[in-house]
Amino acid sequence: MPPIAENYSLGQPVEIGKINKELKKLWQERENAMTRASLINLALYSEKAGSLEKNTQLIARITENHACRALVIGANRKSKESRVEAWLNAHCHVTRAGGKQICSEQLSFSLEGPCVKLLPSVVFSHLDSDLPLYLWWQDDFPDPMDPQLWAWVNRLIFDSQTWKDFGAQMRLVETAQEEAKQRIVLCDLNWTRLDKVRHAIAQFFDHPASHHHFSKIESLNIDYGSGFKSTALLLLGWLGAQLNWKVNEPARNGSCRFVDANNRKIDIELRQREGGPIGEVTINSSGVQFRVIPAQCEDLLEISRSGENETALPQMMPAQSNDPVDLMTQELLRGGPHRVYLRAVNCVRELL
Amino acid sequence: MNRAADQSEANPLREGLSTRAVPQPCSVVIFGATGDLTHRKLLPALYNLAADGELPPAVTVIGFARREKTDEDFRREMEEAVRKFSRQTVRDEIWKTFGQSIFYHQSDFSDEAGFKSLAERLDKIDKERGTRGNRLFYFAVAPDQFEPILKHLKAAGLNKACEGSWARVIIEKPFGSDLASARELNRVVSDAFSEEQTYRIDHFLGKETAQNILVLRFANAIFEPLWNTRYIDHVQITAAETLGVEGRAGYYEGAGALRDMVQNHLLQLLCLIAMEAPSDLRADSIRDEKVKVVRCLRRMTTDEVSSNVVRGQYAEGAINGKSVPGYRSENNVDPKSMTDTFVALRLNIDNWRWWDVPIYMRVGKRLPKSGTEISVHFKKAPFVLFNKETNEANVLVIRIQPDEGISLRMQAKMPGTSFRIEPVKMDFHYGTSFGKASPEAYERLLLDAMSGDATLFARRDEVEEAWAFIDIIENAWSAKTKAPELSFYPAGSWGPEEADELLARDGRAWRRF
Repeated sequence: MPPIAENYSLGQPVEIGKINKELKKLWQERENAMTRASLINLALYSEKAGSLEKNTQLIARITENHACRALVIGANRKSKESRVEAWLNAHCHVTRAGGKQICSEQLSFSLEGPCVKLLPSVVFSHLDSDLPLYLWWQDDFPDPMDPQLWAWVNRLIFDSQTWKDFGAQMRLVETAQEEAKQRIVLCDLNWTRLDKVRHAIAQFFDHPASHHHFSKIESLNIDYGSGFKSTALLLLGWLGAQLNWKVNEPARNGSCRFVDANNRKIDIELRQREGGPIGEVTINSSGVQFRVIPAQCEDLLEISRSGENETALPQMMPAQSNDPVDLMTQELLRGGPHRVYLRAVNCVRELL
Repeated sequence: MNRAADQSEANPLREGLSTRAVPQPCSVVIFGATGDLTHRKLLPALYNLAADGELPPAVTVIGFARREKTDEDFRREMEEAVRKFSRQTVRDEIWKTFGQSIFYHQSDFSDEAGFKSLAERLDKIDKERGTRGNRLFYFAVAPDQFEPILKHLKAAGLNKACEGSWARVIIEKPFGSDLASARELNRVVSDAFSEEQTYRIDHFLGKETAQNILVLRFANAIFEPLWNTRYIDHVQITAAETLGVEGRAGYYEGAGALRDMVQNHLLQLLCLIAMEAPSDLRADSIRDEKVKVVRCLRRMTTDEVSSNVVRGQYAEGAINGKSVPGYRSENNVDPKSMTDTFVALRLNIDNWRWWDVPIYMRVGKRLPKSGTEISVHFKKAPFVLFNKETNEANVLVIRIQPDEGISLRMQAKMPGTSFRIEPVKMDFHYGTSFGKASPEAYERLLLDAMSGDATLFARRDEVEEAWAFIDIIENAWSAKTKAPELSFYPAGSWGPEEADELLARDGRAWRRF
């Protein structure tokens, strides 16, 4: 049987009360040609117009690597009319070995007007049982947040880069985490965006002979793209938290000063430049410069260490893609709590 | 297995970034750099690690071989090999920097001066590239070359590292051909490198599902209570190949299936299946438990070898509809060869957990299908309630290769008004659930050696204990009197009939593969 072409539509409309019945029918019709697979419940919530279609395309790509039951929710609080609609679809991909197709199901919901409040009941009644729930919240969080929803979430995914007020949003998220009966892991895609550059910086200091540089860092420069200042600050927060730095002089024209545990000053410069979220990063420490720059081809980082008696030998490492599917794929592969993230946030909270 | 915690203390920037031990910058010296293993496995593995950002940027590769060639010649040759054999497409931007980290050192293995100049070159590389005196020597050569290489490495002082650095050696199988030769090989190696510096590679252990055996057993509370003589009837391990001896007749004639596969790969898998839970995930804690399994293998007398081990050799037959010659008609094979291309064994582990649970192993060439699987056959439920005829046992299958995964066979009622029970299968496929491709076994193992994690490498005592067990069988086979016969099987069959009888005598049968 030829592979079924990927379908970016929402699929067939279905009555909310008949979703389980229709799902069963969907798989019965296709059971000889494909395998249904699911490792997680992945719910996506957005209040932006056209988000259902856009998120359907994201899910089609995410399911290439992560089999899941996707619950795509589009909400419109402003609508005066109260309406709930639902659709059912499947995303199928041929396995690496070829042959059988692996399919993930997608349930899409449009909630309008007062029905937006039904979100928890819509999500909870359609979860694939025993599998964890990852909720990707694509807008600012409402205040107050619905505690009924958070109680079920295992991982809360968001992108702080899009937040209008980082401090207020972070407080909401932290409160939700505290109040939740279950442990919620906070997964900030803005933090995931830093994964590769953090790897690139960390590897400079893997050998114990490099550790003395930690206490000799004099300055740090971070270039960031338009709209990604919070990403640059999180990177600064990471270095600060892990190396025990504290804010000494708050930001002024992109510059600020931190002090280390010995009260030694470290000059920080954050510069907005053309390009991706994070551009050049340089760390200067007692005559040695550690440098990470995006390579010309953009999906690689060029890293080098240079000093008075050292020849710089640039090497390539993978760069972080800013594509939301790549960020999500990476986030879903990781697992575990993100303790370092919260420490990084705390370190630069007053600057964010 | 997981020393990330230790390392994050050393480098605070690693915390939360990596759940595995971090590899150190080093020079990787490959002896036998112009050989097949280097072309097909080692360089592609190193390239893939570099492309995935897993390799420390300073890592340098030095090919050491006899043939005259320049660094540039060697780089071109390696680029061609990597483009041909790498699991991912080679990118010019990455190759440009990775290729510059490859060098060639021409010398004969018996030329002392060649090793002295290697030492000088490595010192220079340390200064220029920041490899910091860390050296990983990879022996991709036949074991008869080990002694001169080790002797000269030692004479050149390359077996010892400066303070804060390390020198390690990776040895490819075969680790000897019997206990005496393995001990001699270990003596030769230990004369230059301590056991902590020695990494004996068994690529089976680098496979995702082999590593997953420990997770399956010790991270899931439902299996361990059942993992004993009370609930398990028997275990089967099958490693089947459709291939014949191919171009390896020279080696295979002297080895055979028992030495080539059972002594290392299959016994390693058995250890993972049968070991007790280690006290922690340190390499030696795991290997301590593994070696206890081999020590507990019941030693056989010559008569017991006849009744518990079947050796076979493939005769003419057909694979996938194509006629193939018998083993004795293959190139470079003695027409009267007695080499085993198939072995089936019935083993017992004499300890509390596995008492009276037979382990059946079979390995062979020119079998109908290729694949390696372990199946744990549980005891049948008491059939007081249901029809005796329909009472099948639960079977847990761990597929090592290909199509890595785990399945569980259980009983279910067939739909209908009658009470008909049929076996059904719950199946987990890595490829279905995770789109991401697993790294090649060599990638994982090279990274582990650079990180100083020896968990997936065989320790000296493991190897010697395994040979002590295998020697008993080999000695019985080569005895002048009462030697068990060699049975023949047509290529494309599941081995000689005697292999089926081995289980039939116990009222069991090989699982349908």
